[in-house]
Amino acid sequence: MTTYQLIHTTTYNYENGLTFCHNLATLKPKTILGQTLLDYNLQISPRPIEISDKTDFFGNNITRFSIQELHTELKVTAKSKIIRDFSLIPDINTNVLAKQITLTESIAYFKQTKPDLISIKQFILESILIAKITPEIKAYAEVSFKPNRSVFEASFELMQRIFNDFEFNTKATNVATPIEDVIKRKKGVCQDFAQIAIACVRSVGLPARYVSGYIETLPPPGKEKLIGSDASHAWFSVYIPQHGWVDFDPTNNHIPRNQHIVLAHGRDYYDVPPLKGVIYSTGRNKMNVSVDLRPIGN
Amino acid sequence: MPTEPNTTLFQDYFTDFKNYDEVLKSNMSINSNWQKLLTNLSDIGFKNLSNKQKEVNWLMEENGVTYNVYNDPKGIHRSWDLNIVPFLVHEAEWAKIEEGITQRSELLNLILKDIYGDQELIKNGILPQEIVYAHRGFLRQCDKIYYTTCKHLLVHATDLARGPDGRMWVVNDRTQAPSGMGYALENRYSLSRIFPEAFKNINVKQSSKFFYEFNQMLINCAPQNKANPNIVILTPGPLNETYFEHAYMASFLGYPLVTGNDLVVRNGKLYMKTLKELKQVDVILKRVDDVFMDPLELREDSYLGVAGLLDIVRNKQVAVVNPIGSGVLENSGLIPFMNQICNYFFDEDLILPQIASWWCGQKKELDYVLNHLDELVVKHIDRSNRENIFFCEFLDEKALNKLKEDILSAPYKFVAQAKISFSTAPSFINGALEPRKVMCRIFAIANNEKYKVMPGGLVRVAAERETLFVSNHRGGISKDFWVVTDEAQTNFQSYSWDNSCRLAIADINDLPSNTAENLFWSGRYLGRALVTARYLRMVLNRMNQQHYDVSYSNTESLTILYKSVTNITSTFPGFVEKNSGDAINNPLKELTSLIMDDTRIGSFAQIMMSFNHSYYSLRSLWSKDMWRVFDSIKKLWSKFKEEKNYSIITLTKLLDRIITRLIAFMGLIEESILVNQGLLLYFIGLQTEQAMMNVAKCRSLLVPKYGEYLQYEILESFLSSHESLNIYRYSYRSYLSIENVINLVLLDKEYAKSLTYQLKRIKKDVDRLPNTDLNVTNVCKESIAKAYEIIKNLQVADLIELDESESIRQKLDDTLAELSDLLHETSLAISDTYFNHAYQQRQLVTQNFPLP
Repeated sequence: MTTYQLIHTTTYNYENGLTFCHNLATLKPKTILGQTLLDYNLQISPRPIEISDKTDFFGNNITRFSIQELHTELKVTAKSKIIRDFSLIPDINTNVLAKQITLTESIAYFKQTKPDLISIKQFILESILIAKITPEIKAYAEVSFKPNRSVFEASFELMQRIFNDFEFNTKATNVATPIEDVIKRKKGVCQDFAQIAIACVRSVGLPARYVSGYIETLPPPGKEKLIGSDASHAWFSVYIPQHGWVDFDPTNNHIPRNQHIVLAHGRDYYDVPPLKGVIYSTGRNKMNVSVDLRPIGN
Repeated sequence: MPTEPNTTLFQDYFTDFKNYDEVLKSNMSINSNWQKLLTNLSDIGFKNLSNKQKEVNWLMEENGVTYNVYNDPKGIHRSWDLNIVPFLVHEAEWAKIEEGITQRSELLNLILKDIYGDQELIKNGILPQEIVYAHRGFLRQCDKIYYTTCKHLLVHATDLARGPDGRMWVVNDRTQAPSGMGYALENRYSLSRIFPEAFKNINVKQSSKFFYEFNQMLINCAPQNKANPNIVILTPGPLNETYFEHAYMASFLGYPLVTGNDLVVRNGKLYMKTLKELKQVDVILKRVDDVFMDPLELREDSYLGVAGLLDIVRNKQVAVVNPIGSGVLENSGLIPFMNQICNYFFDEDLILPQIASWWCGQKKELDYVLNHLDELVVKHIDRSNRENIFFCEFLDEKALNKLKEDILSAPYKFVAQAKISFSTAPSFINGALEPRKVMCRIFAIANNEKYKVMPGGLVRVAAERETLFVSNHRGGISKDFWVVTDEAQTNFQSYSWDNSCRLAIADINDLPSNTAENLFWSGRYLGRALVTARYLRMVLNRMNQQHYDVSYSNTESLTILYKSVTNITSTFPGFVEKNSGDAINNPLKELTSLIMDDTRIGSFAQIMMSFNHSYYSLRSLWSKDMWRVFDSIKKLWSKFKEEKNYSIITLTKLLDRIITRLIAFMGLIEESILVNQGLLLYFIGLQTEQAMMNVAKCRSLLVPKYGEYLQYEILESFLSSHESLNIYRYSYRSYLSIENVINLVLLDKEYAKSLTYQLKRIKKDVDRLPNTDLNVTNVCKESIAKAYEIIKNLQVADLIELDESESIRQKLDDTLAELSDLLHETSLAISDTYFNHAYQQRQLVTQNFPLP
């Protein structure tokens, strides 16, 4: 069990200033099994004239706010205190039945029409950024996913293969790089790896969702950790019948434990951008993001 | 029992194409419901019918009834074709159709409520989840939004066609932003105006009550049951295919036609930007597709909607008709399940039959489809446009295999339908009756607890004789749709588009600022067009005279005039730069380009193009007479362009004709719109532009000093371009002198074309514009007041003073330069203060996702 303090600061500087904007923020970490949000505080400057919260279709907390005064800088700071205890999350290794469930069995399971399955089955279908599942992606998936092989085993192997086959490269892609390019170039960042994995899982007919969150980074041995040196992170999650959602982090090649903080779930990045908005202005703007995640007390 | 005249009517009707026909049965007998109409048609005779058809075509064009087809070689404003022969259905059959449509509207309404509510249809296994969840019209952002109206689906259009069994079949549902009502209205208006004889002895049901109820429906939608809600019609803009209809409905119902830019969300409410202030909006009748309605929560690349709108809808501060998210019902995946759903909700079967359809998301159905592919029609569940419909019988092996592959990769996205041969109805084509496939679009609206169906609707006719598919998108023909009854009907309502329950815009303060801006620019472009055309015409006339008089001064004065053309129109290098030899040696070429080249900034063609744009954006304000004049300018222009015969004489003639029409057009504007509707803005634009051009001409021609004879020629040219030569002669009865010319065109207080008069007029009009904030000084009012103050105190003696070199009237030039600056400042300040569109909506983070 670890208690964290999380500070996620986004700053926009507007060349010509602006007097009016509408924004949506998905910055409030979820309380789920194995993770409890103890304290949360969202600071926005300048002060919004309107602010309201709602829960979106996927159960995430969305804050909508508008600013109506002249400003050249928008600063949004989300401060959270979170307890993370992965030991509360059911461990698939102890669930023999679920661990062995095969692709064929799994597909048959999702063929059922049961009210409880609706919210899970929606993650089998294509989504905005994972709309073009090419034969290349399917072929990549089928190396691991075989009809009589365990889904867990296949998903785990898929995670390992992405970790080994893909190069982590922050220059190679941006948020708009389509998955069909990523699979060809085999370079990208956590978001690309998560989305490739999701596309693979969906290509064989299983539900997979996008997890947006954070990961604690450790400083080199003997060095002090720098403030704001962390970053937003993303990974994927596969639903295994008789068990539930199991998370996999293809960027770090392991199943998330206590160093991962879950922010939101979606079909892909498009459903859960941390901050988006419509502004009325001319000129350029500059964005700066800093994330600081560190354990406190215990 | 075919009668004699009918035999003539139907001569050779079925020669090469036999089909189930609405009128002529296979045993060559006539459907008795059509008998009276056929009698009326044969009484008139084919020859007269041809004339009537021509008149209808003319009227549709005159009224500017258009249907825009993107990338259409005929240009974007294609005219709407109405066939002279209507389509009819007897009341007895209509009652059944009405019952079926009402049932379907009720059903779709419940489905819509369920999809965005508890999803019981999916939970109970009545409807497969994928049909909703894989449909891109299913907007998760709209989940659990509840509305104050009794029905959620407020407007519903259904396409029906008659199958071989004689019943009307459902082909399609339209729920997002159904189009066609306005065209149906205009069709009835045009046919009854041009062809009243067709209605002889026939009782046709009228739709006036339906439109009254439509208006009532909009009023009743307002949240908090406001008594006088503000209602607007939201259009994607003049480029949209059915823009004519948006403007038509706005005009007919009397509500402002707005684009997303005119609206803004603030303090949890929706407002329309008007000249004076923000005005709260209660109801939007939308003609913009769902996903474009809110760039904050829906498609971020949309410029057609309003950021933050969806949240306002959620909080019940505004009603949108139809609700955002209704597009999920335009879903061919629903068809195979509609009967089950109908039984689930109503415990009864569907009244109107649907085409046999198989949803590929089920194993058995998928196998059937793959085994019978070549005899089926395949569609995506969420795409119903022609490009995404596969008529498999016409596909080759390769295309079939590709389709199979696509289906197998995501079977749940596809539906296959049996192909069905629909009925034909007689259309008058090339002087004879011809059987053509028809499709009827029928409209229903929510009227509190019930749905009301418009008697009649819009009938569309296949573009070619053997075409299976009926669509406007390819530019088709339409028909008036009659529901005939045995009871006598009251007289025709006059459907002219300015006769309605219009709630006039009460005050200039309420004018949408986008409309105000377009009016201002219409005025400016029109002013610029007129002054430019007159100036170019004067130069052409001078060139023509030169043919007969090649004296030295004439050549020199022409050179001066050529250079002034470049200066006044700002079309450098033109005649002025160092390398202008080409232009000077071949002035006709340069002038032709200045008149005809619409890619050249400052050319007359480009001014006219800009004017066209602002004209179309204001479509709902203009009268029919204005349209007629406008259209004749366009025709004149395109004919001239085609002929490519550019000589001094032909160009002069073209300008003559355009000038006459521009003046007629300006006269019509003044009598067609009220000052409070925005005429004031138009006047300000027009006068400002004319004043600016006046200043530019004076600077170009009156500032330099010339020798006596040359001076005379220049002054004469100046006055003639200004259409002031006669006035001058009348007022001064003397030889042309610079002093008198300046007195007349700059200083005269009474003469409408003098700059003093123009500035005074602008000042008066600008002073009438609303004050937005009393504490802020109004820059436009100040600038124009200053300009007027300057010109009022000018003395001609000072102005004609020469500088030391004795070649330039420096004082005149300085004064004119100052006035010119003040006019530009006024214009800019008007834009800044009143139009408020300087800021473009943008995304906080530019993401450029490849959105589907």
